[in-house]
Amino acid sequence: MKDIKRYLSLWLKLTNQSFMREFLDRWNAGMFLFGKLLRFGFFTIFLFALFAKTSDIGGYTRYQMVFFFLTFNLLDTTAQLFYREVYRFRPMVVSGDFDLVLTKPMSALFRVLAGGADPLDLYMLFLYAGLLVYVIMQLGAVTAVGVMAYLALLVNGLIIATGFHILVLALAIVTTEVDHAIMIYRDLTMMGRVPTDIYHQPIRAILTFVLPVGLMMTVPAKAFLGLLSPWTVALSLVLGFLFFVLCHKAWRYALTRYSSASS
Amino acid sequence: MSVFFHIIRITWQEMLEYRLNFVLWRVRFVLQRLVVYFLWWALFSTQTTFFDYTQSAILTYVLLVSIVATFVTGTKAYGVGELITQGGLSNILIRPLNFFSVYIARDTADKLLNLLFGIVEIALLIMLLRPNVFFQANGAILIATMAAIAIGIAIYFCYAMMHGLLAFWLPDVWAPRFLSFVIMEFFTGALFPLDILPKPLFTLAQLLPFQYFMYFPVKVYLGQMAWPQIITGFAGGVAWIIVFLCGMILMWKRGLRVYTSEGR
Repeated sequence: MKDIKRYLSLWLKLTNQSFMREFLDRWNAGMFLFGKLLRFGFFTIFLFALFAKTSDIGGYTRYQMVFFFLTFNLLDTTAQLFYREVYRFRPMVVSGDFDLVLTKPMSALFRVLAGGADPLDLYMLFLYAGLLVYVIMQLGAVTAVGVMAYLALLVNGLIIATGFHILVLALAIVTTEVDHAIMIYRDLTMMGRVPTDIYHQPIRAILTFVLPVGLMMTVPAKAFLGLLSPWTVALSLVLGFLFFVLCHKAWRYALTRYSSASS
Repeated sequence: MSVFFHIIRITWQEMLEYRLNFVLWRVRFVLQRLVVYFLWWALFSTQTTFFDYTQSAILTYVLLVSIVATFVTGTKAYGVGELITQGGLSNILIRPLNFFSVYIARDTADKLLNLLFGIVEIALLIMLLRPNVFFQANGAILIATMAAIAIGIAIYFCYAMMHGLLAFWLPDVWAPRFLSFVIMEFFTGALFPLDILPKPLFTLAQLLPFQYFMYFPVKVYLGQMAWPQIITGFAGGVAWIIVFLCGMILMWKRGLRVYTSEGR
């Protein structure tokens, strides 16, 4: 409990600093925010353009599809909000500055994973949450079980996203030369903008069991819509946890390979 | 001319220095295209045509966009921003080299390497996925496609360079670059052919230069444009080249006046 309080206080301090840094140049921050809004708007336009010619895609209606897209955005943005520091990790390893993190009396993983929250994503989260409520109202037939399963699987999705980010950190230490591994993760998760079960096999299976993008993005929304059995929900939670454990093991291994180059 | 080839060689060496990074960068490129490809493939599982496009036409469009994108949008000009803000530009200015020639050589190196890998990757994808791809046999249309790609390359070079040159006045050019990437990604037609958009948006897309980066060359290749449309498109493209070229030269001249070689 004492540790949780200490890390919460640390996180708040680091986040405060990160927010101040981000707003130093408000013009830049405004452009980033506008870009994020546009990106969201553009894909929504694309989805609506598709639905102008068809009543369903892969058996999903327009609002269901938007619901999947919003769930994707919610998870993707939450991960970016908390784990923005991952994007800045590789220069830290290459320059040897990671030594300064390792010598501090706190978890190095905590510092490099969650040490620089992004305030712009917080704004976007409010937007997505608002839109999600609106779309849920359009979908109708909300059940308590569906909502609970959705929330539990959203947390599971976030755990998987955390695992992916840890994996990227581990890769940066082991290879030292890869500077866009996080963007590969972002490209991969882009497949989750639409329900992954509309893809053909074996892509669908890969996205569910090998690179669990489907578990992250699609499964929560499907649970909300009542399209999953309790067993599938339980299996998803177990798989999400296992994935996280594997990623954490990869991080522990990577730390043993850190050579403190350039320091 | 030998300097030009020297720069190409050095750029290749730079790009291949960190090989794993290079390989993963290519993986990223393939992945981006696969995301779009699989999305369209899935959409066609329930319908035979979408917006007057057959599955074969749209999958050809997606694969061709990949090749055109690798050639048109492969550039080193975005690095000019960092070069200016960190004072590295001085290294070029004190040498008997023309700044734009250096970057044309660097871009040529980048595009050639991209094209080489892009063709191999797309060939592998075609072998693996076995899509029903449309091959254009009309020589005149193939020449027009090459010309359309050349127009796209010229516009994109000036466009990317102008983004870099913004660094003469801005300490950080990442935000405007991000914003322009987002707008560009939508209006180039990388994700979908622009003519599936609602009429007002499609008209807007035709008024912007971005269609020349991917949509226009691929539509010409697919033979979905009549010759008067192609010629009008060429005229529009040349007009954009002139506008961007003037803008780029103006920014360069004005920028040099305020350049302080900060960081050196």
